[in-house]
Amino acid sequence: MLAQILALVVFVTMFAFIVWDRFPKHYVTLSSGALTSILVFGFAMRDAEAFRNTIAIQNIFTKSFWYAAGEHAEQTSGINWATIIFLWGMMIMVEGMASAGFFDWLCLKIAKLANFEPVKIFVAFMILASVLAMFIDSITVILFLAAVTIRLARTLKFNPIPVIMAEIFCANLGGSATMCGDPPNIIIGTSLGYSFADFVMNTGTIGAVSLVVIIIYFYFTMRNRLQDPGDRVDPGSIDVDVRINNMKEFMTSTIIFGIAVLLLVTHSFTGLTVAFIGVVVAAITLIAAGKKAATLLKKVDYTTLLFFIGLFVVVGGLEETGVLVVIADFIAKVSGGNAYIMIAIILWVSAFASAFIDNIPFSATMIPVINALAQSTGVDLATMAWTLAIGTDIGGSMTPIGASANVVGISTAGKEGYPISWAVYCKELVPGTLIVLAISMLNIYARYL
Amino acid sequence: MGQLIISVGREYGSGGHEIATILSEKLNVPLYDRNMLDQMAARNGIEAESLHQHEEMKRRGLVRTVRGHSSSVQDSVAQLQFNFIREKAESGESFVVVGRCSENVLRGNPALVSIFVRGDEEAKTQRICRLYKLNRLEAKAKMFRHDKKRKAYHNYYSTMKWGDSRGYDICINSSLLGVKATADALYEMILQFVEKRKAEESKEELA
Repeated sequence: MLAQILALVVFVTMFAFIVWDRFPKHYVTLSSGALTSILVFGFAMRDAEAFRNTIAIQNIFTKSFWYAAGEHAEQTSGINWATIIFLWGMMIMVEGMASAGFFDWLCLKIAKLANFEPVKIFVAFMILASVLAMFIDSITVILFLAAVTIRLARTLKFNPIPVIMAEIFCANLGGSATMCGDPPNIIIGTSLGYSFADFVMNTGTIGAVSLVVIIIYFYFTMRNRLQDPGDRVDPGSIDVDVRINNMKEFMTSTIIFGIAVLLLVTHSFTGLTVAFIGVVVAAITLIAAGKKAATLLKKVDYTTLLFFIGLFVVVGGLEETGVLVVIADFIAKVSGGNAYIMIAIILWVSAFASAFIDNIPFSATMIPVINALAQSTGVDLATMAWTLAIGTDIGGSMTPIGASANVVGISTAGKEGYPISWAVYCKELVPGTLIVLAISMLNIYARYL
Repeated sequence: MGQLIISVGREYGSGGHEIATILSEKLNVPLYDRNMLDQMAARNGIEAESLHQHEEMKRRGLVRTVRGHSSSVQDSVAQLQFNFIREKAESGESFVVVGRCSENVLRGNPALVSIFVRGDEEAKTQRICRLYKLNRLEAKAKMFRHDKKRKAYHNYYSTMKWGDSRGYDICINSSLLGVKATADALYEMILQFVEKRKAEESKEELA
């Protein structure tokens, strides 16, 4: 009982500090992880085995961590090293692509193909945000897309705020479609043993339906606010430089991106785990970068990786002490074992929680909960996993603080003199989020229950 | 005269803004206050009010930071103004700037003279009553509200505390001589500073 209380106190305190946003988040999770290790595993449980399970370093040295042909590489407890190694590899690849000018070129090329017409750019950038976010972290996608949108807005005299908000929403939606699109999906996939293809066939198809609906919704609600007809600029007079400065670097980064996508799409057939893919992609990028390799390594966002490590230890504390089983039992009791109610609870609670708190710790906490729920109620685990992924990924779009992409998009716009307040943001994106969540719920009901 | 940047921090009702205006007129240099956002709004084709309502304000409500990016619109507007001040200073332009943590943003810049203007509560109250046609109670409430906001904003984005004499070159009580005479006195001090700097530069050139 004491161990449960201590684990819960550390967890709640950690969350409060994350929401407070006063100290770097990785300091908060690492300190909380240390407290969990000392107070929960050491003082209350006196259980070295529980600590070893949570640190889970031994997993890295098993064959199944790197190659898992014909079996699911599952790890529901402790530090999810597969997620951390995969994210590290993808971060290096994305840094390589950014330094080669890939994203600038792609955004401007698409704007040119849209004939520099604001409404066409608006729709094209929504699709681009979704597609890129399926494979690349949404922070990078929005960082480049928002910057290019502002550049184009100044040249073409349109209002970039609705465009950036639609891009944010679509990046979050695109991220929900694949295993590597959003950190919660990577954690869900590696923890429960789902493949890239599993995500595409489930959250991907649900996301595709939602994307079509949301593009139509945004088109009709935002198109009239994009530009005053009097500000229209003749596309023929536009002089935007769509040029690749270093063709060799550009081609190399494009090929590496292609390899990464290929390895991810086929990993359920090849048996290569996401950790293996992350290392391979990072190795190829670093070898191809030559002298720039050290710079790429330095640019990796190590604070996020440390944040994950601390977080997994704290969640491991909750799991080892059985707190999460109590939460699962509570959900089972409230829903009366009814799968429809259970799915609705998971979806809407995940969505509203992710709108205000970081969806990464939330999903990491919920994975063992849905696992326990599946065992106690018999409801299909996969259905709950897809519901959790959609709830956490989409719900984050609801508020400015709900997802990393929102923060980066708002900040990029604000620093260029286009302020996006809470009121403006919520007025635009809350209805869209609710629409997509409702569509997704109906989709899940129709398809799985 | 060489580049000269005067930053004026002020208590509400102390006449700091009026002093800054007089200095900018006497020195014949531009005055930057909330008007710096007007330029940005005009460039972006948006209402200046949408920026003004968030300026000189500490971040509010639930905020999240990701890789140095903040979701707070107050943070964004503050950074926008800090960058504006930095760019103006780097361009070699001389100017007077009111508030906006400018003495902190430009700390270490040899062209900077930082001033903080305070005032006696009674004098400030009377001035606010006169300017805004308020009764004493309303004037005091307004003064308290604005100073609280400025202090919170300044202390959040600066290394030194608002009104702490160690953070400024000159701290002055405008109630002692009155706003106009304080501005004249400061102008004389600034001229002396410019003369001294000129003399030092000539000496260095000769050496």
